[in-house]
Amino acid sequence: MKGCKKFRGLIIEALGEKLDPETTSFFEAHIRSCSRCAAEFSGLDEMLKAMDKRFRRDPGREFWDGYWDRLSRRLEMEKAAAEYAPGAPRKWLGRLAGGTRRWAFRAGAAVVLIAAGIIIGRAVFSRRPLPIEALRPAGEAPGGQPAATDPILRARSYVDRSKLVLLALVNYVPPAADPHALDLSLEKQVSRELVRQAGGLKSDLKGPARRRLRELVTDLETVLLQISNLESPDDFEAVEFVKQGVESRGIFLKINLSEMGGDLSFSGREPAPEKAPSQKIKT
Amino acid sequence: MTEEKELVERLSVGDPAAFRELVEAYKKKMYFFALDMVGDPADAEDISQEVFLKAFRGVRTFKRDARLGSWLYRIAYNTSVDHLRRRPLTPEAMEDAVLDSGCDGFRELPPSDPARTAETRLLGVRVERALQNVSDRERTVFLLRHYGDLRLDEIAETMQISVGSVKSYLFRCLRKLRKEFSWPGTPRPLEVSDERL
Repeated sequence: MKGCKKFRGLIIEALGEKLDPETTSFFEAHIRSCSRCAAEFSGLDEMLKAMDKRFRRDPGREFWDGYWDRLSRRLEMEKAAAEYAPGAPRKWLGRLAGGTRRWAFRAGAAVVLIAAGIIIGRAVFSRRPLPIEALRPAGEAPGGQPAATDPILRARSYVDRSKLVLLALVNYVPPAADPHALDLSLEKQVSRELVRQAGGLKSDLKGPARRRLRELVTDLETVLLQISNLESPDDFEAVEFVKQGVESRGIFLKINLSEMGGDLSFSGREPAPEKAPSQKIKT
Repeated sequence: MTEEKELVERLSVGDPAAFRELVEAYKKKMYFFALDMVGDPADAEDISQEVFLKAFRGVRTFKRDARLGSWLYRIAYNTSVDHLRRRPLTPEAMEDAVLDSGCDGFRELPPSDPARTAETRLLGVRVERALQNVSDRERTVFLLRHYGDLRLDEIAETMQISVGSVKSYLFRCLRKLRKEFSWPGTPRPLEVSDERL
């Protein structure tokens, strides 16, 4: 029938809103003349009126009375969470910075991070450094000059280097130190070198005046040989054995005595022979 | 200045009393709309509160020429859709949630009229089922129109679609509902799932 399409376009509006007078007159006229459209409209209208009776069971007065309080608590929690959110300090820093350029902060932060990395890296990964004398080859003098041929000078260098190696070993306390920090590869290398030098040095330290120094070199040679023969880097028992040997031989005491007694003093000439016991002149 | 515009003005300057007025005026509408959308009372309260929190945070974005109700329904619609996306429910699960929650969907009638009570309860279940058998958009348009009392243009604004699309969705939804109800005519007999009542 004529007007059905237009009528169906208006049903939706007519079911929920008031139509303007002109549309209303068309709508009512069509309903009177078209039973099919009238049935559809009345069917939908009745259904909606029935559905309008639908009423959710109310959660109750208590629910609605407490609604605002629950919402307020949630709002407060969100505010508190926002204040402690990861972005909050950044905002605070941003306000503090004022007009400072962002790149300046980034550059500063990068420098601080790099410096911290270097410090941490040195603290964690560095070996216990040995003085330059310990690293210097035996045949080389400071400044790259050829080594002195004087046996006293060589002996002094030998004792100094040996003392550094032994100090590194003796000062290592396994229970207190990091076991992974025990890396004796450099000490072993220096020890091997010193052991090789020991034979020649002992033969050059002739005479009774150098006996004490010769004995010291011999003791050092024994201990250094033990160090150079350490097999496992974490052989704590062997390290303890060497430390006991250093202690039982009184190595450091002997070194100190040699230094204090002038055995290692360079005079440019051979020290005077030990005096024989004086004889009392009988008068 | 109308009462609503005055409320909007007070909200925009952060008046706490205005925010409370807004909540008191719309809390039931938001709750029931969310309940129709997601089917679970606890989720419905959560969503309705989320609506007000979003409104509180975004009141400065509110267009002064729009209606507060329309704006809140749009937030409620988006929040409900987000909720459904996170926790998709099948129509069967929705029905179970409604039945398990004890919401029969209808006003409680006097106990002196048991026959009418039973009839209304049955109708309630069928309304719930009918609404779950239409598409999300059709259901939303229907709810906004007949329970949110929004005009067609407000629904269009809320759902970011044209008025013509709103009419189309609404008409299709009404026809499906009518078919579901076999309206007019006698109600369908109870099915197995209805026996739980």
